[in-house]
Amino acid sequence: MLAAKLLIRHWRSGELKLLSLSLILAVTVLSAIAIFTNRLHATLLIQSNAVLGADTVISGSHPRAAHWQIEAAEAGIKTTESVQFSSVVYAGDAMQLASIKAVAEGYPLRGTFELSDQPFALQAGDIQAVQGIPARGEVWVDSRLFTALQLTLGAKLAVGDAELRVAHLVIREPDGLNPLSAFGARVVMNALDLPQTQVLQPGSEVNYRWLLAHDDPQKLGAFVQHLKPQLDPHQKIITVDNAQERLGNTLETANKFLLLTAVIAVLLAGVAIAIAAKQFADRHANSVALMKSLGASAARVRLLYGVQLLLLGSTASGIGLACGSLIQAAVVSALQMAYQQPFVGASLQPFVLSFMSGILCLIGFALPALWFLPQVPPLKILRQSLMLSRPQLWVQGLCAALAVLGLVVVFSGDWRLAGVVTLALLLVLALALLAAFGLLKLCQRWLANAGGVWRLALASLHKKSNHSAMQILVFAIAMMLLLTMSILRNSLIDEWKLQIPKNAPNHYLINIPATDAPVLQQQLAQGLGQNSVLMPNVRGRLVTINNVEPSEATRAKENALQRELNLTWSTTLPASNTLVKGQWWTIWQRSAADVAGVSVEEGVAKNLGLQLGDTLRFSIGGLTLTAEIASVRQLNWQSMQLNYFFIFEPGVLDAYSPTYMSSIHLEASNKAFLYQVLREHPSILLLEFERILNSIQVIMDQVAQGVQLVLYLTLLGGALVLWAAVMSSLDTRKQEAGLLRALGAGRRLIQGSVLIEFALMGFLAGLVAILGAECLIFGLQKWVFKIPVQPHLVYWLIAPACGGLGVALLGYFGCRPILTTPPIIVLREAA
Amino acid sequence: MSLVPMLDVHAITKIVPTQEGDLEILRPISLLINAGESVAITGASGSGKSTLLGILAGLDTPTAGQVYLHGHCLTALDEEGRAQVRAGNVGFIFQSFQLLPGLTALENVMLPLELHGNKQAKTLAMNFLTHVGLESRMQHYPPQLSGGEQQRVAIARAFASQPKILFADEPTGNLDSHTGNKIIDLLFALNREQGTTLVLITHEERLAARCERRIELAAGAIVTSEGI
Ligand SMILES: Nc1ncnc2c1ncn2[C@@H]1O[C@H](COP(=O)(O)OP(=O)(O)OP(=O)(O)O)[C@@H](O)[C@H]1O
Ligand SMILES: [Mg+2]
Repeated sequence: MLAAKLLIRHWRSGELKLLSLSLILAVTVLSAIAIFTNRLHATLLIQSNAVLGADTVISGSHPRAAHWQIEAAEAGIKTTESVQFSSVVYAGDAMQLASIKAVAEGYPLRGTFELSDQPFALQAGDIQAVQGIPARGEVWVDSRLFTALQLTLGAKLAVGDAELRVAHLVIREPDGLNPLSAFGARVVMNALDLPQTQVLQPGSEVNYRWLLAHDDPQKLGAFVQHLKPQLDPHQKIITVDNAQERLGNTLETANKFLLLTAVIAVLLAGVAIAIAAKQFADRHANSVALMKSLGASAARVRLLYGVQLLLLGSTASGIGLACGSLIQAAVVSALQMAYQQPFVGASLQPFVLSFMSGILCLIGFALPALWFLPQVPPLKILRQSLMLSRPQLWVQGLCAALAVLGLVVVFSGDWRLAGVVTLALLLVLALALLAAFGLLKLCQRWLANAGGVWRLALASLHKKSNHSAMQILVFAIAMMLLLTMSILRNSLIDEWKLQIPKNAPNHYLINIPATDAPVLQQQLAQGLGQNSVLMPNVRGRLVTINNVEPSEATRAKENALQRELNLTWSTTLPASNTLVKGQWWTIWQRSAADVAGVSVEEGVAKNLGLQLGDTLRFSIGGLTLTAEIASVRQLNWQSMQLNYFFIFEPGVLDAYSPTYMSSIHLEASNKAFLYQVLREHPSILLLEFERILNSIQVIMDQVAQGVQLVLYLTLLGGALVLWAAVMSSLDTRKQEAGLLRALGAGRRLIQGSVLIEFALMGFLAGLVAILGAECLIFGLQKWVFKIPVQPHLVYWLIAPACGGLGVALLGYFGCRPILTTPPIIVLREAA
Repeated sequence: MSLVPMLDVHAITKIVPTQEGDLEILRPISLLINAGESVAITGASGSGKSTLLGILAGLDTPTAGQVYLHGHCLTALDEEGRAQVRAGNVGFIFQSFQLLPGLTALENVMLPLELHGNKQAKTLAMNFLTHVGLESRMQHYPPQLSGGEQQRVAIARAFASQPKILFADEPTGNLDSHTGNKIIDLLFALNREQGTTLVLITHEERLAARCERRIELAAGAIVTSEGI
């Protein structure tokens, strides 16, 4: 195989070093990121699915169709189920309303129960994670029920007609209580004991949950899609995505950012590839002419080089893939150590994609520069001055843009992101090119009368005006992308920190009896030193709007119409709310003296087409309440505060025997205190959200680490580009320097002129870079990440300064060989 | 010796368009070169020598006229067809050597053989390199060799594929006269051994004198043609 032989020879001679290095870097970065995000994503999904107990839950008011189970089994999907309902349970003479969860074998599919033998256990040593469910005849109860009924381990608990033995206490459970629909304390029992209890009668309110899990999300997704049309209106699909939107958003942003960084790293490597390919093409124009003069046809040449390129591409991609997997493995193992959390393995997809993208990079970045090679006329070998018809710059730019577009689409499936990135890059490049030319011209005018070293440096810049502009452009692209990444990274991480306020509530107290409320508020104020707001709470349904029942279509569209709502009243506008329409109670003009006012959440108002002054009728425990819309509020869903769709005027709900709710921020050290307080108020239900919050925090940290790593790799890409750009000009520089030295120019002079030339280029590139970076960041923040935009003034100083210094040093060291070698050798090598 | 002439040229001209109008580089030229002959093309700089050589070797096309290389009508063929004729029939030696800088001396010599699919490329190439006295420099890259050594590699490369006709454009132009003489000796020695037809451009009297025939060009036309 001649192509392979030639490739090895070219490799040995060192002329493929830059090309293969750039390609390896591109694939390394891409694969490291692709594999890492793939694993991170899968891991996070498993972690958050542990909260749900499954990957997907089909929840409904009656059991699933029997044949679904068979279909699921055929599709290889793991299933189990739970049945949840409220019932009064008895221990001796004492009784309590409990929220019972009967679970089947295999529950939970994700996550575990955490059990203890002591109520309100805090110490890790007292808590045990347990795979499995209560044995037949046994129940697990939560701490509150345990204390309220004064149970002991082994005591009997009557659930309906069944007498079950209390085996353990549940400290944490997957698919835990929903703060907004929870009633009573938790009892977990074995589903096989359910018939014996006789509690479930036709008409009782029951929630059947069918839990599904599969290691391949695509298989599961396909199955769920297949089920979708068969679901009735009372059944819905619950996934982590809709269960934890906040986490989902963060993950998506993180994903986009990682992806963007990957693209930018690839772009940097791509620029290096393009430079290397051009250098390769320049060197090989003669080789091709020679081969053709020896009788090789254009087709032969194309095949020879095509195969070489393909071989080079696959080898470099393979090596890059290996490096990428090693890097991500190192990062993952460091993360596993730091967070004590196992990572899921990667699927095959990122490996295949990364490998393919190596080839794509070569096609997009290198091929255009090499395309003319087979067309080099054999006459070139006799007549060196023969002009070759090379592909236009814009053709190369277009190919590169298409490659980038392809890569983003392949890796994200996100056309929007791909479009924004590619368009913005093209625009910025065009601007940068103009700016580079303009600045160059300006400089020449200003420094026209300078002498000595400056004259030499400028002459050099001037002589190669096009070439210099291109070099400035390349420097600028590298710097611009690096600037964009580091600025964007900072603002994203800041933004994420803002998303979860430091003192966000992490515990919720529900079901506080009106009689306990004042005492509890005082206790909390004393013990925690914070003023907790107790929100009154009444559950009711919205039945008519302006005396008309909402249509079936509206009902399907708005979740708030499908279930009982938590209704509250408040004297003041809650802290995390802002008024967007209407007036708050003090200055609100009611239409009639006896009508009550209600304030509605913006989203619901929009969905239901509600206007100020509309009347709403609610059904609350068999009674009705009519109210007029006084205002529309916007909620901050990120605040973690208790949020309400409907807030009434003070006192309106008094007649409906409200209970109270509160959200509090609790440090770990105060946990024991809270448990102490709760023992005195046995009917209060505590929801601990800290675990979810913590896992969000861990995820953010993991992502931030990933971002950091990616940034380093990008830096490497940038350095490679700068190096490539300097190296690519070395051939001509060698000749010049040799000539100058032969003519008697001192080393100082040449050194000085090289330094000044590169410093000037670096300075101009820095200016162009920060200009481009600002544009790019503006677009990305506004349209992709949707976070506020502000200018980065410091960077306007830093970028040109660092650019000038950095490039000057790079140029100096890159060109050192031509300064230190004797002129005669320089000339011979260049010839 | 075959009856077909190695090169048969009928009234070729070369006119190139320039900004100041058409430029006539070659006026009608006809000539005949038999197999095994050695022919020197001489003339002042700019007289059209390289242009003529390019057309004779099928690297370039004339504006009018026909060129027959070993019976193949080059002017009736397209570039692919001419490439096929060149393959195995034609060899080159250039003033600036034209060795591929990324290949060692040995690999440079092997290249044409490998292009023609010769299985013995390596042994043949080594033989020829030894023949030109470079057995100890086979693994060296061109920049590591002196000009004379590079030209010897080029000669080994040209003869290794055993072409019927060899074109040389000022093979000694970049060499001092001592080295140049050695190169010329080598060239003619190999030429005799293999019976190759030799067409070389030179402005060195010594070199031209060693050829069987001399064609002198001036302003794109033949002024003297010895030995026809
Ligand atoms: N493509 C072209 N366009 C314009 N002029 C051309 C072209 N090719 C050749 N010439 C001109 O034709 C003339 C002959 O060129 P050629 O290279 O054949 O000369 P030469 O005899 O080889 O000269 P030298 O001894 O200097 O190598 C020169 O004046 C050259 O400038
Ligand atoms: Mg010439």
